[in-house]
Amino acid sequence: MTSADARDGRPGSGAQAVRVVRVAVADDHPMWRDAVARDLDEAGFEVVATAADGPSAVARTIATRPDVLVLDLHLPGLTGPDVCAALTAAAVPTRVLILSASGHDADVLAAVKAGALGYLVKSAGRGEFLDAVRDTAAGRPVFTAGLAGLVLGEFRRVRARDAGPEVPELTQRETEILRYVATGMGYKEIAAALFISHRTVQNHVQNVLGKLHLHNRAELVRYALERGIDPVATPSPYAAGRPDANGPGGIRPRRSR
Amino acid sequence: MRSTSDLLVGDEHVVVRGLWRAVDVFRCLALCYAAWSVWLRNAEVAHLPGAILVLAVVAAWTVAQTVRPLRTVRAYAAELAIGCGAVLATRLVDHDWVITAGAKTIPSIWPTAAIVGFAILRGWRGGLAAAAVVAASSFVEVVHPTANTVSNSIFGLLLGGCIGYCVDLARSSHAAHAEAMRLAAARAERDRLARTVHDGVLQTLAFIHRRGTDLGGEAATLGAMAGEQERILRALVSEPDLAEVERAIGGETDLRSSLRHVASESVQLVTPADPIRLTHRVADELVSAVEAALDNVHRHAGDGARAWVLLDDDGAAVTVTVRDSGRGVPTGRLEEAAAEGRLGVASSIRGRLADLGGTAQVTAGPGGGTTVELRLPAKRRS
Repeated sequence: MTSADARDGRPGSGAQAVRVVRVAVADDHPMWRDAVARDLDEAGFEVVATAADGPSAVARTIATRPDVLVLDLHLPGLTGPDVCAALTAAAVPTRVLILSASGHDADVLAAVKAGALGYLVKSAGRGEFLDAVRDTAAGRPVFTAGLAGLVLGEFRRVRARDAGPEVPELTQRETEILRYVATGMGYKEIAAALFISHRTVQNHVQNVLGKLHLHNRAELVRYALERGIDPVATPSPYAAGRPDANGPGGIRPRRSR
Repeated sequence: MRSTSDLLVGDEHVVVRGLWRAVDVFRCLALCYAAWSVWLRNAEVAHLPGAILVLAVVAAWTVAQTVRPLRTVRAYAAELAIGCGAVLATRLVDHDWVITAGAKTIPSIWPTAAIVGFAILRGWRGGLAAAAVVAASSFVEVVHPTANTVSNSIFGLLLGGCIGYCVDLARSSHAAHAEAMRLAAARAERDRLARTVHDGVLQTLAFIHRRGTDLGGEAATLGAMAGEQERILRALVSEPDLAEVERAIGGETDLRSSLRHVASESVQLVTPADPIRLTHRVADELVSAVEAALDNVHRHAGDGARAWVLLDDDGAAVTVTVRDSGRGVPTGRLEEAAAEGRLGVASSIRGRLADLGGTAQVTAGPGGGTTVELRLPAKRRS
């Protein structure tokens, strides 16, 4: 608790303290689900839903519209990336924090590309986890070093393939910051090293994530066009409202698994 | 050399099993042919009961090998001895002039079964050796070699050599096939175990780690132990043995798997999702440089220092960044150490990278600690 308390004093978190953050928890291990829900409850979050598999995670998130969905990466029924894509397609404002037992997984990247805002390994401490939920609720991306490395690699891959003008590249500053995050530096350390504000570092990371989502969308559109599918005419089965506003949510790139 | 235990019939390739059956059938037919040949020329045989006795011995062995085939070197050595003995015995039961005229030996083509048997048992060398023994005894038997003796011996050598060679090929391809099947089965089993461990054991260990840390005291110690085991187990089940296969096939290796072993409780390896391919020589040098940098971290960065190893391939160069959270190196101290002739980080890291055509930079890290940046231009990857 001490580390969580210590970090409460930083700028940005004061605004969230007024309103109770509503959280949904999806994990197929009852033990984990209960522990996470209890921790959240004790820390003052409101746990509005729990789910044990992918389809119910999607259905309950759409029904309760929580601020944050804490999502296990490997759920039965639908995987983490599938759940993220379905929620994006359904235009749910919920932000997704991925929780995974494995630290290095291509599925983590797929989930973040599909719209997840943050990622944390299950071995992280409770204080770190609660901070991550707060950050996610506030729209601040939760980047671990491992995820930063994967995201950096993803931009390198897209550039090497010469994806065309519709795919945005990272600026030099964004690359620099991503590399710092990937070598274990916190936002504060990066801010100090680059003589910029903490907030600016956060904005850069947020922009990186935004570009990553644009990549994903561009890839989906190309995937659809290559196969003669009209992306707009193929809404997701989970699409509640306006699938066209969120891109082709029903079509996902093939992933080798 | 293969031991006879390797040659158990059950393990054998289907081609080899077929050859054994062919040898059994051939032996019987050869016996009939030998008996028929002696019967045709019974008038010119000097000592008919002797010839019949020789045939009887050959027939007895044929019956024994048909009823209960022995496919061992010892049995075929006996068969070869009987065959050669029968060939030599021809001199005792036939007139000189009959033999010189080029008459068949008493066992005729029967010893060929022993040649083929040796070819199956011992490959082309065995086939050739057995054929040479049979040829030698027929040369001894005729004294003055006839055209038949020479051509029969050549046929025997050809037969033993060719069949032996085919058996060698069949065996090696069978062994390669069996090895491939074994690898595929091992990999499938490993994947299955990895899934089980990932879904069950890892989740539980991570949970114990977390709860233990929360509870504090002795439970925290137990939790830390569970956390350590979780990390080891996860590394174990995620280890891609495919990398080893690539290593064998391609001559290239993935830097991510070459560096996997450096990851530990205090060192995090951060990699892209795609492989970074380098030749073994280059990868091994880079790995040694990273090890030297991490060794330096362990020795100088102080207790509790953490380190991150970032692999980044931007197309123009492969960059490996080793950053630690430790005390840091005062500027100039590395140069000082190198100037004093003390071989340390500077020489082993910079030297290795210079040899590869890359560069190494050691700087005081932006967040405290030290940052070692190893840069290898794309054209130096092989």
